[in-house]
Amino acid sequence: MVTKVLNWINYRLPIINTFERHLSKHPVPKKVNFWYLFGALASIVLILQIVTGIWLMMPYSNTEEGAFASIEYIMRDVDYGWIIRYMHTTGASMFFAIVYLHMFRGLLYGSYKKPKELVWIFGMTIYLVMMAEGFLGYVLPYGQMSYWGAQVIISLFGAIPYIGESLEVWVRGDYYISGITISRFFALHVVALPLILIALVFLHLVALHEVGAGNPEGVDIEEYIDEDGVPLDSVPFFPYKVLSAMPAIGVFGLVFCIIMFFFPEGGGYFLELANFEEANPLVTPEHIAPVWYYAPYYTMLRAIPDPLGGLIVMAAAVAILFVVPWLDRSNVASIRYKGILSKIAIVLFVVSFITLGYLGTVTVTETGKIMSVICTVMYFAFFLLMPIYTSIEKTYEVPDRL
Amino acid sequence: MIKSILIISFLSFSLAPSLNSAEGGPCKDYGDCDQFKPDLNNMASLQRGVGTFMKYCYSCHSLKYSRWGRVANDLQIPEDIFFEYLVPDQDAGPFDLMVAPIHELEIDNAPPDLTLVARKRTSSWVYTYLRAFYDDSSTTYGSNNLVYPGVNMPNILAPIQGNQKLGCKEIPVLAKNGGEKRDEFGNTITKEKCGYLKHQDGSGLLNVEEFDEFIYDLTNFLTYVGEPSRAERERMGVYAIIFFIIFTFLSALLYREYQKDYH
Repeated sequence: MVTKVLNWINYRLPIINTFERHLSKHPVPKKVNFWYLFGALASIVLILQIVTGIWLMMPYSNTEEGAFASIEYIMRDVDYGWIIRYMHTTGASMFFAIVYLHMFRGLLYGSYKKPKELVWIFGMTIYLVMMAEGFLGYVLPYGQMSYWGAQVIISLFGAIPYIGESLEVWVRGDYYISGITISRFFALHVVALPLILIALVFLHLVALHEVGAGNPEGVDIEEYIDEDGVPLDSVPFFPYKVLSAMPAIGVFGLVFCIIMFFFPEGGGYFLELANFEEANPLVTPEHIAPVWYYAPYYTMLRAIPDPLGGLIVMAAAVAILFVVPWLDRSNVASIRYKGILSKIAIVLFVVSFITLGYLGTVTVTETGKIMSVICTVMYFAFFLLMPIYTSIEKTYEVPDRL
Repeated sequence: MIKSILIISFLSFSLAPSLNSAEGGPCKDYGDCDQFKPDLNNMASLQRGVGTFMKYCYSCHSLKYSRWGRVANDLQIPEDIFFEYLVPDQDAGPFDLMVAPIHELEIDNAPPDLTLVARKRTSSWVYTYLRAFYDDSSTTYGSNNLVYPGVNMPNILAPIQGNQKLGCKEIPVLAKNGGEKRDEFGNTITKEKCGYLKHQDGSGLLNVEEFDEFIYDLTNFLTYVGEPSRAERERMGVYAIIFFIIFTFLSALLYREYQKDYH
């Protein structure tokens, strides 16, 4: 009976073929390491964010007077509202943590190398949209940090010459942050950007399935195929890939629950303490810090004394990630077979990125200022010098098979 | 390779906090806040805490995001007793918000709402702040606070705590290497440092330990009211963690079994 129904549908809509091609029988490299699990985890968190977001939308009030109180209403009066909200806030931080690890995997194993350039670019666009999505969502509870964080970010537009000021007003919809700003941020956060995000994730996956998933060796598994055209070094997605993801999902769920149930504020890094006070345009908080996932870029912004210069550097720091496929001139993909220069470069890059992140969450000191300039230079050097060090270094021979 | 990246990143991160020395602590002139460990399952403590709050704080401070009925229910106080003895407003019902009469008037500079004070400033801050008042004739109310210098709030609990003044004491002089400096006979060299709280014994209704406990209960209640589901959250968390440990273990076994197919 079920088969009959399925066949009837499949004749008109290729669900079985699509399911087999992209899920059940999709060939994936048989030997990958834990770095290859973050993509799956990211899609799980995306679903979690969408589902909890829908439930949060129901009792949330997108008005200047009601926003903050409605969050407390969710935390107190809505049955299990607190768990839904903590899932969403913990999920936001986890989403970024996973995506950063996923992106780093890309840098380590050259997941942007030909023919995966588009996969990488779609991924980077997802990251860009996520940053906007995270910022808009952060404003919605309308606490002190929401207000002043938004003030800082929106004033960045003001640094653009000629059109800056009118652009600021256009973004806010008002001369200062008000109910108009909240309701438009709400519309963008819950409808516009999630739609774009889902579309981009779809494209990211379609492009990936077209060129095939990578592996830590940087071996092209398509070179050795059996008579059916299936790569010899691959296994079908179901059940093998699903089963390899299961323990990872378990560990991730464990970490997620430890944070959500026992440290939902994440020591002030996931939910900032100042945001437990309603927004007050008359009182500036002592110390405005972005949430941890923007911190590296915020440090770059502060490292440059001129606001326009800071804005350009910050934008360039994200923009440069898009062109990585063309900066890497190495004849191998994986860091395992790259030369010593690439290995030193990536270590320095990690050190500079983490230091930038740390500096963004603390108040500025003299040492901190110097460190932030040095780390910004190191960050850009990693990318700008990439065409040089990847082409002059001696690489190792990549094996034929996985 | 990856290991060395992780080690270096970790080292760079663990060295980083040393850059942070310029920031002042949240408890200001008091120094480090006294650590507060809430006990949200201690109903007796929470009940004493809400009693103290209603008697001494509620005349000026609201808990405007919290509702009467929820507090009575969570703290296991029967509603009739709760409304008869603790709620001054005769018309208040269980679903009403705990808004103090003073906040129903529109006045400027009204005392702040305290629903989220323990979340915004941390429980340790509240616990330290409430015990750090001292006599200071230079201020409007004749009192000041080490944790919140210049706070615009009278020392409402003074009759209970008794007199507290700022005093000085001898503290060891520290050498550059962090150890105590000593003279040629091996005695510790000390200097006088001021700005310490000195309590006058017997001047209040409670002695120091009793007052600390009194404030503990009040802070415990404010911690509860900042996040009423916290006790339930921590209870549920244990089950969620046990579930994921079992899930991880079983799925790892299953994964290993299937991995044999292609290795």
